[in-house]
Amino acid sequence: MEAATIKQFDVEVTSRSPGYNLPQKAGIRLWLPMLVMALMAFPAAVILGIVRADEISTGGSAETIETLRQVQSGVMMVAFASVFAAISFAIARILGQFRKGGGDLQEASGRRVVTLRMPATAKVFLATMMMAMMTLLGAAVLHFVFAADVSGTASSLELSEERFTVLEGVQRLGIGMYLAAITLGLATIAQVLRFQATRVRELTAEEVRPQAI
Amino acid sequence: MSTYAIRSTLRPLAERTDQEKASRYRAAGIVIALVGLMAAAAAAVASVVVADEAGNADTLAWTFGLGTAAFAAIKIGIATTLIGILVRLWLRVDAIKSALPGLKSSSIADVGTRPGDVETAYGPATVTNSAPEKLAIHRMAERMWLPMIAMGPMVVVIGLGVAIAQSGETDAGTFSDLAAVVQGSQFLGEGLLLAGIAFLLGTILSSLRSGGAEVQEAAGVSVKTLKMPPSAKAFVGLMAAGLMVAMAQFVGYLVATGQDDPASWFAWLGPVREFGLGLILSGIVLALYTIGTVIGFQFDRLSQIIREGR
Repeated sequence: MEAATIKQFDVEVTSRSPGYNLPQKAGIRLWLPMLVMALMAFPAAVILGIVRADEISTGGSAETIETLRQVQSGVMMVAFASVFAAISFAIARILGQFRKGGGDLQEASGRRVVTLRMPATAKVFLATMMMAMMTLLGAAVLHFVFAADVSGTASSLELSEERFTVLEGVQRLGIGMYLAAITLGLATIAQVLRFQATRVRELTAEEVRPQAI
Repeated sequence: MSTYAIRSTLRPLAERTDQEKASRYRAAGIVIALVGLMAAAAAAVASVVVADEAGNADTLAWTFGLGTAAFAAIKIGIATTLIGILVRLWLRVDAIKSALPGLKSSSIADVGTRPGDVETAYGPATVTNSAPEKLAIHRMAERMWLPMIAMGPMVVVIGLGVAIAQSGETDAGTFSDLAAVVQGSQFLGEGLLLAGIAFLLGTILSSLRSGGAEVQEAAGVSVKTLKMPPSAKAFVGLMAAGLMVAMAQFVGYLVATGQDDPASWFAWLGPVREFGLGLILSGIVLALYTIGTVIGFQFDRLSQIIREGR
């Protein structure tokens, strides 16, 4: 493999298609399990919300109502973490199709295979996505822990209320980070498209490799 | 095809764009998303700071409004980046159209694949002699993405205005009614914005289909087009269901304003409004999956044309 720079792009040059890289392989394998988890967690959170609403309207105990609030929010955070992860993995899968497909096309044409190196936006996309996932799952785990800690006393209910408010803020930040990561993933796709349009125009002017003839 | 539909695929914009230059939509999308992230962080910090204060309801009212508006801002950043992708897709079509005649193998004459259905590694496809008609769902996506993306932020901003008014309200009943209006309207706006993003993804799928056919037709080979995959059908279903839930929760919150004890209404409407967004987001996952499949199919077809000339 040879590193090079063509027309503002950092690239690597090979004789064969490079195939998928590790995050793209993860994307191909993980988008569906994440989606399935989200599709199970969202309705579960709705059911918990309905149960809690019933407790409120029938004058249920404050302890049960507060516990259900923490659990329902925790399940909802698992749902959001899963669906955003599924989106991120699906974006990684698209990037994989561009990398493998672009390589296959150049290889089929008999020219050298020039592939864009992982852009900075892709690296930040991966890092931000992982931080966001940890933030949301961490908040979900704390919701479950705090739910187990609720008792019927006024001080316990007040403490749970405070903890809930803090976790709401943390979740907001986690969701914001996830959405920003998705923007960066899509920005990487735009960059890859720009590179590939430039590269494909160069191909015809390039010599066919002798071993490819 | 109507002029509006052509404009909304951004083909004319791509024709005026220099492909060598970096995308300004991509840069703008990242900047808008970062501004939104900062606003979300500010709302989060404000919530955490007042968590242990007794009379924090007024602060939590405006932080809810700001937090949701911040998510809307990031989603506008996502939509802007998708617009950049759409423009780049057309530039890619033009680049491949101009390069393909020089890359196509001339060793085998195009004997022409018989029109009809064929099976490919990416699913069933149709073979035609010319570019196929646009699908009805693609025409709809091309017409709908802009109105949705325009309406969504407007509704969210109205909700933010009500949230600010709510934070200054002292009457408990009015405070609760305004909270219902804020939550209902802001999540309706979020739903509309996400639906706009979903329609933009539909427009990308439409452009991939039209562009792929255009490239093959220009190269003088038979036009192979992937049939609508099951994932695309499920995408449409989830997005429509999510949008309906987003509208229903808005109505639910309006009804909650007239209730003596809205707490039980809020208890189930909260997860329902998020469920609506979850359905649209799940649809978006399937749209992205479908885009990946179509891109894989197109590279496979291009490699076949280069190797075999047909």
